Amino acid sequence: MSKLLIVDDEIDIREFARNFFKKRGIEVFTASGGSDAQEIIEHENPNLVLLDVRMEEITGVELLRNVREKGNNVKVIMVSGVEDESVIDEAHNLGILGFIHKPLVLDELEKIVLKELHPE
Amino acid sequence: MNIPCLFPLFTGLLVFFVGVIAYTKSHFNQISKNFFIFCLTIFLWQFSYGIAFYLNSKPISFLWLKIGYTGVIFTSAALCPFALELLNNFYRNKLSFVFYSISSLFSAALWFTNYFISAEYYEYFWGIYPKAAIMHPFFVLYMNLIFSGIIFLLLFESFREKNKQLHTQRLRYVGGALSIGAFASIDFVANYGYEIYPCGWIFVISYILIIAYTIIKYRLMDINLILTRTSIFIVVYSFVLGIPFAIAFGWKERLIYIIGDNWWLVPLISSTVLATAGPFIYLYIQKRAEARLFQEQKRYQATLRQASAGMGRIKDITRLVNLIVHIVSRTVRLEHTLVYLFDPETKLYHLRASRARSARFKTQNTIENISPIVKYLIRTRNPIVYEEIKQQTQDYGDMNLARLESELVAVNAELVVPCFIDDKLLAVIVLGKKISNSLYSESDLAVFSILANQAALAMENAMFYEEMKNTHAQLMKAEKMATIGTMADGLSHQINNRLHALGFIAGDALDTIKLKKDVFVSPEVKEVMIDLEHALHRIEDNVTQGGEIVRGLLKYTRKGEEGFSELEFDQLVNAAVEMTQFKIKPGEIQIVKEYGKDTPKINGNFTQLQEVFFNLIDNAYDAMMQRKNELKEKGYSPVIKIYAEGDHNGRVNIRFEDNGIGIKEEDKTRLFTPFFTTKLSSKKGTGLGLYVIQKLIEENHNGKVVYNSVYKQGTNVLISLHALR
Repeated sequence: MSKLLIVDDEIDIREFARNFFKKRGIEVFTASGGSDAQEIIEHENPNLVLLDVRMEEITGVELLRNVREKGNNVKVIMVSGVEDESVIDEAHNLGILGFIHKPLVLDELEKIVLKELHPE
Repeated sequence: MNIPCLFPLFTGLLVFFVGVIAYTKSHFNQISKNFFIFCLTIFLWQFSYGIAFYLNSKPISFLWLKIGYTGVIFTSAALCPFALELLNNFYRNKLSFVFYSISSLFSAALWFTNYFISAEYYEYFWGIYPKAAIMHPFFVLYMNLIFSGIIFLLLFESFREKNKQLHTQRLRYVGGALSIGAFASIDFVANYGYEIYPCGWIFVISYILIIAYTIIKYRLMDINLILTRTSIFIVVYSFVLGIPFAIAFGWKERLIYIIGDNWWLVPLISSTVLATAGPFIYLYIQKRAEARLFQEQKRYQATLRQASAGMGRIKDITRLVNLIVHIVSRTVRLEHTLVYLFDPETKLYHLRASRARSARFKTQNTIENISPIVKYLIRTRNPIVYEEIKQQTQDYGDMNLARLESELVAVNAELVVPCFIDDKLLAVIVLGKKISNSLYSESDLAVFSILANQAALAMENAMFYEEMKNTHAQLMKAEKMATIGTMADGLSHQINNRLHALGFIAGDALDTIKLKKDVFVSPEVKEVMIDLEHALHRIEDNVTQGGEIVRGLLKYTRKGEEGFSELEFDQLVNAAVEMTQFKIKPGEIQIVKEYGKDTPKINGNFTQLQEVFFNLIDNAYDAMMQRKNELKEKGYSPVIKIYAEGDHNGRVNIRFEDNGIGIKEEDKTRLFTPFFTTKLSSKKGTGLGLYVIQKLIEENHNGKVVYNSVYKQGTNVLISLHALR
């Protein structure tokens, strides 16, 4: 079973995204901030991480850096509002699959996630 | 020395004195010249008689009597030019010539024959006196005819005028004075053997005093006499010193007869008494005179003080103008007061406030910039007094003065006071006649001039305040916009998050419905689920649209990079058009691209040029909408044409052409001023657009911006930028 980690500080995002993907038989983990996310990444080894860029505690890029520095190459897709060029560059440098822009409808997100989790 | 000779001497001197004053103080006009000559003849008569009575030698006295009589003869002739000039009589020159000729004849008869005055003379108690001969009665008749005629004309003319104008007052007083003076012909009685002392000098003195009064009160002959301390002093001390002298000289013999050797005590005592009393008399008269003179001035000062305090506080120009009218009407009781204010838009002086005693009062509503009144005021920077202009027009017959006079009549102006700030004539205050019908005195003019200056300052203040308020409003708006810009970033992120959440919630709900829709539900429930499905889809669509709006907004407010890069013109245009999508509905206007794919690339900053082009399209849109709403032309189609072309100098020449309302002539100079806007609705802009465009193109891109516009036809904006080699 594929494991998906959704990192976002919005409760509605976490709740409804989880509902959605659970119906498709994916195991969904959620984290609202940096420390939780790091733990889950280390212990659960998710197949894909949806990482929100702007968060309260720690930014998405910082979190990514921490993860990468620990040698973890987990697949990451960054979810952003409108970001500075520097953020985009840095994220790419740290190794991500790509960016998706808010607001996103679930249909589109489904396509992207399923493509990564089940590359046929 | 006897007293009888003193009176004629004194009278002659007095008349001479008044004549000289009149002549020198009246700016040398024709009337005063004639008046002076008239006074000379009287002086000649009286003074020569005085000398004749004083001298002891009879033959020499007789000579002086003859000289005096020459004066008498020419008195009647000299009266004519003076009076007829006053009446502005058409025949004055011809009549004067006639009378002078007749008088010359009499005079010749006096000197060369014995038919006028006989060679013998009467010996009366006061001295010798001429004896009338055969021609004399005719002379008396002639003189009386002239005097009667003149007096009749003066009084008739003064009663003919219905209203009590200044001029009629003058005529009446002069007529009255002459009537009294005519009684001096009592002197002729002694020519016929009756030993009656020629006390004609009494009537002459009365006459000259009335004339003096008319000069002072009614500005006869346009003379402005001010009762000064000096004059009071001179008058008082002439009496203080003169009386003892007169006593010493005139009554010397009588005193010696009465008192004896110590006769000189009388003049001494009297001079001591008078010298002591002198200062008190002087002070008393001076206080009374000043009280009367300054009573008016004190009242003026109080009003002025109140006025300046009041005017300074008022920021609204309409209230200010009404206050000015109120103040003026209270200071002096007038027929009417009007204030005309300059309007830079229409270049006319509009009537902004008025107050009149008569409800039926009507006057013109505007004064033109090029009118005689305005031109005269700008030239002289002094108030205009209607009476003066009328007099000058009569004297000099100048066409310009005549035009000025008729315009003064058209606005019913008795006095016109200008309000100047530096060189600008801000306003014109028009005053009607005083209710008391008296003239505007020098102090009146001074007071009103001060008032007008203060009014000008207050007006400038009010207008500046008005401008300040507008600028302040604009600044506030611009600040608000700037704040919104700064907030946009944080705001957009928040809004985005809401939209994102909404999308997910709706999406998941949709998903649940999709999965369960076809599973064991009744048709009614299925219908409900289909409806819900549709609703949720709509929510998802709105989320997507919301996202696009936020993205568009952010593009506009983002600072963007400062650097230059290679830019495609078409790309810039498209980006700019995209920014307009929130204001301009599709199909509202047409944008035509009149440039090809081979347009050279531009070396510039994307965000800034995007903003420039957006502003141009936005302005064009507003102009075209304004034209559509104002001119309401049938079949009007708003079109923006965009041209771009490279030239040989390494530049790209761009043109934005619209068929909007265009720019008015008077606005063209203010185009690039920050905050200047002619856009109708305040929502449509802060007026920063063109200023920003100019700054971005000229300063940041080293380019050029030129505007061409024809009002009601359209506007062209030409921009020249550097192309990439």
